[in-house]
Amino acid sequence: MKISNIQQLNRFKQLIFLVLTVAISTFSNEFFAQGEGLFKAKCAVCHQPHKNGTGPKLFEARKRWEAAGEGALIIEWVKNNAKLRASGKSARANEIFNEYKGSVMTAFTDLKDEEVISILDWVDAQPDPATAAPPTTGGAVTPGMDPEEESALSWIWIILGVMFVVIIMAVGGVRRQLNIATSDQLDVQEKLTYGEEFRAWAWKNRLYVGISTLVIVISLVVGVLQGLSRINVVENYQPSQPIAFPHSVHAGLNGIDCKYCHNSVTKSKSAGIPTVNVCMNCHKQISGEGKPYASEVQKIYAAAGWDPKNGPTGAYNNNTKPIVWNKVHVLPDHVYFNHSQHVVVGGVDCKQCHGDMTQMQEAVKVQPVSELNKIEGNIKLSKPTLTMGWCIECHGAKDVPLGNGKNAYYDEIHRRLKDNDKTLYRKYLKDGKVSVSELGGWECAKCHY
Amino acid sequence: MGMTKKYWKGLEELKETPAFIKSKDQEFPNQQAIEEFLGDDSLNESSTTRRDFLKFLGFSVAAATIASCEAPVTKAVPYVVKPENVTPGMPTWYASTYYDGCSYTSIKVKTREGRPIFISGNKDFGFTNGGVNPQIIASVLGLYDSERLAEPTIDGVSKSWSSVDSAVSSAIKSAKKVVLLSNTIISPSLTRAISEMELSMNAQSPSKFEHIQYDAISYAAMREANLKNWGAAIIPSYDFSKAKTIVSIDADFLATWLLPTEFAGQYGQTRNPDNKWMSKHFHFESVMSVSGSNADGRGMIKPSEQASVLAYLIKGMGGSTSVSSNLNPGAELIAARALKALKFSKKESLVVCGANNVGLQLLTNKLNYILRAYGTTIDANNPIQLYKSEDEKVQKFVSNVIAGKGPDVLLVLGANPVYSLPNGVEFGKALKNIKTRVSFASHMDETASLCNYTCSDHHALEAWNDYIAKSSEYAIAQPTIRPLHNTASALESILVWSGKATRGGKDSAVAYDYIKNTFQGLFPLGDFAFTTHNSCAALSVMPAALTFQDAAISSLPQAGDLEVVFYQKTAIGTGLNAGNPWLQEMPDPMTKVTWDNYITMNPLDMEKGGFVTTYDQEHGLNLATVTVNGTSLTLPVYPLPGQTLNTVGVALGYGRGGNGEKIGKAAYQTKEYGGYDLSENGNSKPIGANAFPCVSFENGTYQYYGSGKLSKVDGTYIIAATQIHHTVMGRHSIVRETTLDIFSNKDKEAYNPSFTLQRLNKEGHHEDAPLAEFDLWDAHPVEKIGHRWGMTIDLSSCIGCGSCLIACQSENNVPVVGKDEVRRGREMHWLRIDRYFASDEEATVGLRKDKETFSYDKAELAAENPKVVHMPMMCHHCNHAPCETVCPVLATTHSNEGLNQMTYNRCIGTRYCANNCPYKVRRFNWFNYPSYKKFTEVNPAQDDLGRMVLNPDVTVRSRGVMEKCSFCVQRIQSTKLVAKKELRPIIDGEFATACSDSCPTNAIIVGDWNDVNSKIYSSSNEKRSYQALEEVGIKPNMWYKVKVRNEENALLDDLQVVKKKAHHGEKKAHH
Repeated sequence: MKISNIQQLNRFKQLIFLVLTVAISTFSNEFFAQGEGLFKAKCAVCHQPHKNGTGPKLFEARKRWEAAGEGALIIEWVKNNAKLRASGKSARANEIFNEYKGSVMTAFTDLKDEEVISILDWVDAQPDPATAAPPTTGGAVTPGMDPEEESALSWIWIILGVMFVVIIMAVGGVRRQLNIATSDQLDVQEKLTYGEEFRAWAWKNRLYVGISTLVIVISLVVGVLQGLSRINVVENYQPSQPIAFPHSVHAGLNGIDCKYCHNSVTKSKSAGIPTVNVCMNCHKQISGEGKPYASEVQKIYAAAGWDPKNGPTGAYNNNTKPIVWNKVHVLPDHVYFNHSQHVVVGGVDCKQCHGDMTQMQEAVKVQPVSELNKIEGNIKLSKPTLTMGWCIECHGAKDVPLGNGKNAYYDEIHRRLKDNDKTLYRKYLKDGKVSVSELGGWECAKCHY
Repeated sequence: MGMTKKYWKGLEELKETPAFIKSKDQEFPNQQAIEEFLGDDSLNESSTTRRDFLKFLGFSVAAATIASCEAPVTKAVPYVVKPENVTPGMPTWYASTYYDGCSYTSIKVKTREGRPIFISGNKDFGFTNGGVNPQIIASVLGLYDSERLAEPTIDGVSKSWSSVDSAVSSAIKSAKKVVLLSNTIISPSLTRAISEMELSMNAQSPSKFEHIQYDAISYAAMREANLKNWGAAIIPSYDFSKAKTIVSIDADFLATWLLPTEFAGQYGQTRNPDNKWMSKHFHFESVMSVSGSNADGRGMIKPSEQASVLAYLIKGMGGSTSVSSNLNPGAELIAARALKALKFSKKESLVVCGANNVGLQLLTNKLNYILRAYGTTIDANNPIQLYKSEDEKVQKFVSNVIAGKGPDVLLVLGANPVYSLPNGVEFGKALKNIKTRVSFASHMDETASLCNYTCSDHHALEAWNDYIAKSSEYAIAQPTIRPLHNTASALESILVWSGKATRGGKDSAVAYDYIKNTFQGLFPLGDFAFTTHNSCAALSVMPAALTFQDAAISSLPQAGDLEVVFYQKTAIGTGLNAGNPWLQEMPDPMTKVTWDNYITMNPLDMEKGGFVTTYDQEHGLNLATVTVNGTSLTLPVYPLPGQTLNTVGVALGYGRGGNGEKIGKAAYQTKEYGGYDLSENGNSKPIGANAFPCVSFENGTYQYYGSGKLSKVDGTYIIAATQIHHTVMGRHSIVRETTLDIFSNKDKEAYNPSFTLQRLNKEGHHEDAPLAEFDLWDAHPVEKIGHRWGMTIDLSSCIGCGSCLIACQSENNVPVVGKDEVRRGREMHWLRIDRYFASDEEATVGLRKDKETFSYDKAELAAENPKVVHMPMMCHHCNHAPCETVCPVLATTHSNEGLNQMTYNRCIGTRYCANNCPYKVRRFNWFNYPSYKKFTEVNPAQDDLGRMVLNPDVTVRSRGVMEKCSFCVQRIQSTKLVAKKELRPIIDGEFATACSDSCPTNAIIVGDWNDVNSKIYSSSNEKRSYQALEEVGIKPNMWYKVKVRNEENALLDDLQVVKKKAHHGEKKAHH
C-alpha cells in the first residue's frame, strides 16, 4: 500500500512538472506575442522599433534608461509619463520631454507592468532592417507568365486556328475536285452546290453532326451564362481617391496596426474609414514640409480646419470639410456583412480578404483572388473576390473551433450538438472540422434580410 | 373537438354572402378587372404601335444590360471628428420620455448614425413599465415629416428668429392682456417659466397675463367631482393590477382613456389564469372599444344609461342614491354579475367612468368609496398630473374672443382650438380681431394658419424636456438628434420673450440649462447626468388627509331617440397625428378599417334602416348624415356588432386640414393613381369629417355624447378594411377559448384537446394516434441542436391594441400602400391582428345550430354577445413549411435555427408560396412602393426626409418580390453576435422581436426554444399552449395560448368535456 502511494505521488509530481513546463513555455510564447500585439495597438502610432518618429525609437530604450541610472522608472514612464515628470524623481523623463519639444505622450494607465515589459522584450528582439539583408524591391515576384506573354499566347492560338481551318478547307476543296475528276457520273455531281453537298454529307454523318452540334450549343449557352455571371464582378476595381494615401507607408513602413485607423472593425459591421481627427493624431507632427507628399498632408489640414503654420501647437479654426472618399469595396444593399463578426468572432485576419496592405503603394483596390491566394496563411479560394461564390467557398472551408472552452457561446452550441445528435456531429467531423457552413453559414438569412 | 363557438371576422362570413364564398378560397381577393384596365381611355389614345413597342423593348433591354455592367462610384464620407458615442453601423440607445398632450410614457430611442429610427417602451425605468401605444411608436416617423414648419414665420413668410422675437416681445410689452392657451403642461420647467412670465407681467398691471390649459379631450369633470368629494381637483392614480373586479363605464382604459400606457400593463398582469387570481372585467358602453372587447362581461348601454348602471351598483352595495337604476334587460344581467363580483372582491375593486360629466363622476366616486377602493386600487395621494383642461375657463375665453373681447396677444402652445373646439370655426373667424397671434405648432395647422406668427417648437425627439406625469415621478426627455430644422424649444421662446434668456441658435443650451436648474431645485443633491441616463427619478409624495364628502348629483346625460357617441380611435386619437401614414393605415382594432372615419351602427339597426351591412372592394357602404347640436356630418355607415341599439358612434380626430392647411402629406384622400382628391373649394379633401363641432358644452364641461338624428343619403362610399382579407378557409382550430372555471377544474383535453388521427393497429383495428406520427417528411434538424427560435402569444393577455403592428412596420421598413391598395387586399403589414367575433349560437365546430333560421336577433340580442378574440397573426416559421416546397427558385428556405427565410433577391414573384400558406401571412410587392407615383403621398420612403426613418439593417424590398415576417432576423443575428463577442451563451430574454418588445401586456414571448431553461420553452409546454392549424402537420415554431375568460358559461361547460376514448365495440357497431 505504502509503496503504491509513493509511486502515485511520484507520478503526480511528474505530471505537475510536465504541466508546468508546458504552461510556462506556452505562457512565455503568449507573453511574447502579447508584446507584439500591444506594440502595434498602443505604441506603433508614434514609435518605431529602430527609427525616431513622433516619439523616440524603442529598440533598447530600456538600456538607455538603465544607462541614465533610472532603469526602474521606465515602466512608470510608459504608464503615466506626466505623473513621473511631475514627481521630479526622474531627470531622464524631462530630458526626453524637452528633446521632443514638449509633445506629450499618451498615458497608458491600463497597462500592467508585465505588459510593458512584454512590449519592450518584443521590441528588443526585433532585428534592425537597416543592418539586416535588404528586402527584395519591386514587389513580390510573380510566378507564371506575365500578362503580355499571356496575351501573345492567345493570338498564337487564334492564328493557328485560322490556319487549321484554311488547311482543312483547302484539303476538302482538292478532294472534291479530285472526286469530280474521277467520277463517272459527271452530270449529277456538277449540279451539286457546296451547300447541297454539305447537307448530303451532314445527313450521311447525322449522328456525329447531331452530337457535336448539341455539344457546341450547350457549351455556348454555358459560356454565355458564365460570362453573364461575371458582369459586375469587381476584382481589381481601383477608383481614384481624393488623397493619395499610401498604405505601404502607414501599415508597412510605420507598422501601424490596421485597427488603429479602422477602429470600428471590432465593434461594428463597418470597419470605418478613419475620421480626420484620427489622421491628425500623427499628422499634427508630420506635416511633410519639403517632402513630395506635403501637398497631400495639406489636404488633411484643410479637412480638419488646422493651421499648420504654428507647428504642432497650431490651432483648429473650426472650418472643417469632410473628405469624400470613393468606396472601394461595395456590397449590394441586399447583402448584410459584419466586419466584427469576421474579425473578432471568426478571427479572420484583414489580409484574408483585403490582401497585404503593407505592400500597397497606390490607392486601394479590390484584390483579385489570385493575389489573395499567394498570401501565407490565407484560405485558398477560387471564385472572384467579393462575389457570393467567394463568400460561400470560404464559409465551406473555414472551421469553427467548437468546445475548446474559449468561447462559452460555442461551448453551448457544441454541448447541444454532441449531447443530442452524435451522428450529425460525426457527419460534420468527417473532414476533421466543423465548418461555418455546417453551423448554418450557407443559409440565406445569414446575410440576406 | 371542444370547439364551441362560431368565430367570424366579418358579417360577410357570418352571413356567408355569395361574394364571400367566392373570395374565401382566394389568396388575392380580386385581381384587377380586365375591363377596368382596358377601359382606361388614355390607352385608346396611345399611338404606340407594335413595332414601336418592340423597338422600345429592345432598346431598354440593351440599355439595362449596359447600365448593369458598370457599377456606379459610391462615395464614403467619414466624420471629420467622430462623436464619442457614435460608431458607424452600431445603434445607440437613449432613455427618454414621450409626452404629446395625450400619451405619456418612458421610452428608449434607437438611433443609427445619429438618426432616431425606433421607439420602444423603457422596461427598466419609469412607472409605465415599458408600456407604449401605436401613436408613441409611430411618432418617430413624425420627426421626418417633410411638412413640418422648418422656420419661424410672420404672416406665412419665413423669417429669422431675431425678427420674430423682437416683434413678439414688443407686442407682449405693449399689450393690455396676454393669454397663453396651452394643452396640459406637466413640465415643471415650463410651468416655472410661465409663472415667472406671469409674475413679471402682472407686476406691470394686475391680471395682464392669463394661462388657460385646454385639451382636445377634456377630463375636467373628474377633477370637478374630486373637488366636490375630496376637496381637491385631482385625478388620482389607479392601479388595475390590484383590482380583482374591474367595472368600466365607457372608459377605454386600454387604448385611449387617461393613461393607457400604464393601465394596459397593469391589466395584463391580472389576466394570466396561471396566477393565483384573475381579474373579472365588466364593461358597459355603447361603441365596442378595445377595452370592451376584452371584458369578461360586456353590457350594451346607451350613454344615458350610464348613471343607471352606477346607481344599480351603488344600491346593490348598500348605498343610496336618488338616481334611477332602470336598465335594459341585457345590461341588467351583466350589472347583476358585476355586482356579485364586487360584493366578493370589495375593496380590491375598481370602478372607472370615461364620461366627462360631473354627475357621473360623482356617482363613480361614491361607488368606489362604498367599495373602499380608495387606498387599495385608487391612490389619491399620488395624483396623475395629465389633463388639466379647465372647460369653463376655456369656454368663457372662447366666447369672449368670438364676441370681440379677446386679448391683445394670444399664444397657442400644443393646442389646436380652431380644429378641436365645438365652435372652432367661429373662434377661427374671430381670431383676426386679436392683434398678435402666436402659434408654437409644428405644422401649419388649422390654428397656426390663422396666426400671424409661428414659432415652431422642436419635435419631441429633438428637445430637452422634463415632466411630472404623476406626483411620484420626475422624468427627463433628452434630445436624440440635433434639430433638423430651424425650430426652437417653446421653453426657450417663452424665456426669451420674458427677457430671461437670449436665443441660443441651433445648438442652444438655454432649455437645457433651465431644466437642469429646475432639477437642482427639486433634487438639491441629484445627479442630472445619472437621472438623464435613467430618464426618471422618484419624487416623494406627501400623504394628505382627505375626507369624503357626499355631493348632490345633477346634470346627468339625457336620453334621446338616437344617442350619438364621440369616441377616440386607438391610432388617430384626437387627430394630433393625422398626417402620420403608419397610423392612418393601421387597421382599427375593432372595425379593421384603414384610412377612414365612419358612423358605427348595430347591423340590426342598419337592416331596419335599409342600410347594406356587407361590403367589399367594389361595393361600398351607404352614406348617412348624422345631425347633433345643429352640426351635420355625412359619413358611411359601418356595421359594428356590439353597438348598442339606437346609438351610433363617430370617431373624433378626422377631417383635419380641409382648408388648405399643411398638416402632413398623408392626411388627405388620394386618387386611384396618385395625387390628391380635391374638394369643391380646390383644397385637398381631408380624410373623414371633423366631429368636434358636435361636442356640446353643458353644465360646465364638454360632453362627448349627444342626441341626434340620422338620415340616409344617396350614394355609397367604398371602405378599405382588412376585415375580410386573408380568410382562413373556415378552419376552426385557430382560436381556442375557455372559462377560468373549466381551465382550473378540468383536464387539458377538455379545453385544449390535442390532435389525433386514426390509423390501423397490428390487429387491424382503428386506434387514435398523435398527429406527430403521421408525417410525410423527415424531421428538420432544429430541435435541441443549435438554436430554435420560437414564439408564444397569450390570447388571454393580448388586448389587440396594435402596438406590435406599428413596431413591426417601423422595425422592418414595411411600406405604406394607401387606401386604394388596402381596399384591394394588398396591405403589406407583416403582422396583422385578426379580430374574431364569437357568438354562442354555434354548438359545434363550423356548424350552426340552425342554419336555416339563423338571424342577427339571436346573435346580437343576447346580452353577452358578441365576444371578441384578438389574435396577432404572422409567419409561423413552420418546420414543414408548405411555402418552401412550392418555390421554384428556392427563394424561401428553412434555416437550421427554425426560421423560414425569405431571400428577396432570389424571388421571381410566382406567388405560389402565398397561395400555399395556410396562415395567409405572405405579402407581395405589387408595386415599387418607394418610387411609384401612386404612393408619393402615402409612403414616407418616397420622401428624402421620410427615408431617414428606414432601418438600415433591413432591405427595402422592390416590386415583384414576396415578403413576410422574418422573426426580426436582424435582431437575432445581432443578439448572437453580441453573445459571441462577449464569449458567453445567449441570455434568455436578450433577444426580442419588435412585436414582443412593444407589447404593453407582455403577451408575446420569444426566445431560443432549445434552451430548456428559457421562458419560451416553458411557455410552449404549458397546458394552454396550442398551435393554430396543427392538424395540417406543418409544425410551426409558434404557439398560441388558449384565451381564458373569467366568466360563467354553462353552454361552454357542457361542450368542453374530455371525450371518452372511442370504444372498439362501439366503433364496430357503426361500421
